[in-house]
Amino acid sequence: MRRVAVGPSVLVILVLLVTGFVVVRPSAQDQGADLRALLETRTESRKVSDGPSEFYFTRGVYTSGWRWGSWRIDFPKADRQFMLAVNSLIDISAAEEENAVRLDDPRIRQFPFLYVLEVGDMALSAKEAKGLRDYLLAGGFLVIDDFWGSWEWANFERQIRRVLPDHRIVDIPLNHPIFNAVYRIDELLQVPAIGNHYRGRTWEQDGYRPHARGIFDKQGRLMVVINWNTDLGDAWEWFERPEYPLEFSSFAVQMGVNFIVYAMSH
Amino acid sequence: MFEQGEVALRAAGLGYLLSFMVAIAAVITVRTYRQVRGNSKSVDRLVLSVFRVGALALLVFCLLRPVLIISSVVPQENFLGVLIDTSKSMQISDTDGVARSEFVSQQFGDPESGLRAALADRFALRFFSFSGDTSRVSAVDELLFDGTQTHLGGAIRSAHEELSDLPLSGLVVVSDGADNASEGLGESLLPLQASGVPIFTVGLGGEKFEQDIQLSRVDLPRRVLKGTSLSVELVVTHQGYRGEIATVQIEDEGRIVGTQDIELPADGVPETVRMRFTAAEEGPRLFSFRVIPKIGEMVVENNLRQALILVEDRRKKILYFEGEPRWEVKFLLRGVEDDTNLQTTLLQRTAENKFFRVNVDGPDELPGGFPTTRADLFKYSGLILGSIEANYFTPDQLRMISDFVNHRGGGLLMLGSHRSFSEGGYAGTPVADVLPVELDPNESDVEDSFFSEVRVEPTRAGETHPATQIAESEQDSTQRWSALPPVTVVNPIRDVKPGATVLLTSEPDDLVVLAFQRYGAGKSLAFPVQDSWMWQMHADMPVDDLTHETFWRKLLRWVVDGVPDQVVINLPQDRVEPGQAFTVLADVGDANFEELNNSSVVAVVTDPAGNIIERNMEWTAEKDGEYRATIPSGEEGFYEIRVEASIDGELLGEDLSYVQVSPSDSEFYDSTMRTALLDRIASATGGLSYTADSSQSLAEDIQYVGAGVTVVEEQDLWDMPAVFFLLLTLVLLEWGYRRFRGLA
Repeated sequence: MRRVAVGPSVLVILVLLVTGFVVVRPSAQDQGADLRALLETRTESRKVSDGPSEFYFTRGVYTSGWRWGSWRIDFPKADRQFMLAVNSLIDISAAEEENAVRLDDPRIRQFPFLYVLEVGDMALSAKEAKGLRDYLLAGGFLVIDDFWGSWEWANFERQIRRVLPDHRIVDIPLNHPIFNAVYRIDELLQVPAIGNHYRGRTWEQDGYRPHARGIFDKQGRLMVVINWNTDLGDAWEWFERPEYPLEFSSFAVQMGVNFIVYAMSH
Repeated sequence: MFEQGEVALRAAGLGYLLSFMVAIAAVITVRTYRQVRGNSKSVDRLVLSVFRVGALALLVFCLLRPVLIISSVVPQENFLGVLIDTSKSMQISDTDGVARSEFVSQQFGDPESGLRAALADRFALRFFSFSGDTSRVSAVDELLFDGTQTHLGGAIRSAHEELSDLPLSGLVVVSDGADNASEGLGESLLPLQASGVPIFTVGLGGEKFEQDIQLSRVDLPRRVLKGTSLSVELVVTHQGYRGEIATVQIEDEGRIVGTQDIELPADGVPETVRMRFTAAEEGPRLFSFRVIPKIGEMVVENNLRQALILVEDRRKKILYFEGEPRWEVKFLLRGVEDDTNLQTTLLQRTAENKFFRVNVDGPDELPGGFPTTRADLFKYSGLILGSIEANYFTPDQLRMISDFVNHRGGGLLMLGSHRSFSEGGYAGTPVADVLPVELDPNESDVEDSFFSEVRVEPTRAGETHPATQIAESEQDSTQRWSALPPVTVVNPIRDVKPGATVLLTSEPDDLVVLAFQRYGAGKSLAFPVQDSWMWQMHADMPVDDLTHETFWRKLLRWVVDGVPDQVVINLPQDRVEPGQAFTVLADVGDANFEELNNSSVVAVVTDPAGNIIERNMEWTAEKDGEYRATIPSGEEGFYEIRVEASIDGELLGEDLSYVQVSPSDSEFYDSTMRTALLDRIASATGGLSYTADSSQSLAEDIQYVGAGVTVVEEQDLWDMPAVFFLLLTLVLLEWGYRRFRGLA
């Protein structure tokens, strides 16, 4: 198979966003809201509005380990800003609002694209593990992001083995169609959290090299994309900041767009 | 004799005079009875008058010398053709356990006895045997009743042609009348009607079997993709087994692939059985449909029907054009990706004039987006239009899509979305003409956008259609539909074209959910649902449920079912008798599916023994692009036919088909005596019809009914014993009445 990877300039769109041509709403955190109160309201599955959109950027809500509320890192700003970019770059009927759904909520299957991050601190309940397993085996697509180093990898691997004990985790080669769905990805960049960028580095803990790994189903279809030692979500969240390098923002948006388009066609 | 003759009066002058005098006597008698009363009552005088006048009238009749004028054949001056049916149905023993052919042996086997002797006294006999063909015979007692067909019309025509130069009194047809020729009898009777040669039919066998079950003809496609689920309707009729259970089986060359029990209704009432089976094995497959014989059946050969189906293990290509990323794409492709006989190529628009492709054969396929030439589009057998608005296409591309269905014979499926149907601006376009649903040009107003969550249920047609069978049985399938989660519709369609069929509707709103129609050489379908993927991903659906996959696999297989290629073999008959030549027809077109009359077309036929026959096929001149060759057959078995077409040395395409060479099985179907047919043959030609029991008068009847060399005879009627006895009776009645009433 051959992919045609031509698309409008991500840079142009991001420049427009950076220069404020496109207004981005401030996050709840910036507004100093009560996080716990916000968390309580956000742990309910988001009700679909009348005349639903085709695509919802759905964030998986899970039980954390030692750190409370890991699922909501970057939430909802990263989600909203990323969707602004997506709606600008490709012709898709996508909801701009965030959509957080618990992994053990049966309605999660109505949203076949799922984003879960900070899995280094994930401690799935039995119901969450089953919910995620059913979701994936039915045809859902999962994107994992923003976890670093060997210790966090070990935790993630323990958790995902409870979900998919009979599936292997493998590296996704750069010639895989997901890296050419819309944009051609020739190299994996290590996208830093904004804090790490301020510190003058891209890595965190002992996560020095970025990896794109995947889990394939029995028919050889990619159902989980694992972005390890990289933080796409932070790039989505902060691409309006002049100090955050556009190189990383562009790359993160390109990867995200590819994930969406690939997930919706394979 | 009286029916054929004519009554006349031959009295001379004296006879008329005497008759007049007797008439006067009758008048005097009446007046006398009126005047002379005595001790009689009026009713007595009336009765006596009747008796007396009756006797006198009979006397007048005799004096007028009535005669019967009748034409009769001159003995031994005329010929009589005797046509004996030697088909297999004559072996049926439905006359007191005796075979129908036994009548032939008894009546015509010995020259010195039976009907043969009676006819030979008057006529010069010429015997013919007939089944599929007709031939002269001399030794009637050596006839074998093994013909696999009955062509009555052909037999009558052949015998008449052979005997037309002779003084022919008529033809005698000894048969059960179970004609199974494809042509009608009318034309065969015309020469006999014109030349006034009557046909006398002797019908053998019973008009009804006491106990018998028969399976009707089976209609199935001649070629399908491997793995296709086929639906067949079988009609079972019977006599004598009302209320009993019969078992219907489907076999794929010995392997049972379907079984169903049915309760037989009243005698003679047809029972329709719908069964499904899968064409799982590749190649020419002879499927057998059988009702297991029951004890006491008169004929068991008619419990079996066979159908030859070419099961092709090939990939049919479908082009799926989507205007935006949608979940419907992902799950539709997933639903059919395991089907090795379908290749669904996705052309996905991601942004304006930006596409990516999935499942293409190479980099040269669809490099610039949707095809801009008919040759490129017509490479596909099916076309799916997703969320893509009409004004994306150029006017020529819209016409191309219409021609794809109308001319090329492809299958078109339009899916629901806010850019489809009326909402997508297709009303008034050539694509709207093709679609099976009516589009409203006023529906594209965005402000009045429609949205409804509906459940789907099959119509009566949808309950039995192969494309909407999502479970093993019709009942299970209907229940399954009602249990599926709701889906959403943004294209409110309620009206379909006159020639369309609705397979699925919505609850509520009664919207069209799935409809199709045949259009030109192809077919089009409308499925205005935007998220059938909910049948896979809804929380109520078990993870391992295959309903969604089953639906899409069956629907897309049906979309491409019957879609022709550039070279297509058509066989007027897929079964011929051993030794009978068969005709091969082929339709040939170019990449635009324009018919070609100047192509080089060759038929390569391989017989069961592996011998190869090559024939150049010639343009028929009757139809553009149609080529014909006639191939001889020999031994029984499957004959493989491969047709290759080329032009200017470039191969256009090829096709493969099979012909089965085997004896016909039609003799045992509808093999009761066809009284109506035999009567019609006789009456149409001025002859008479008989059964075995009433055939004893045949020889004498022909003498007076037949044609040929005849002589006119006059036979006096006045000296008939019946006349004398009637006269005597009248006189005695008058005398007896007088005595009874005490009259003088």
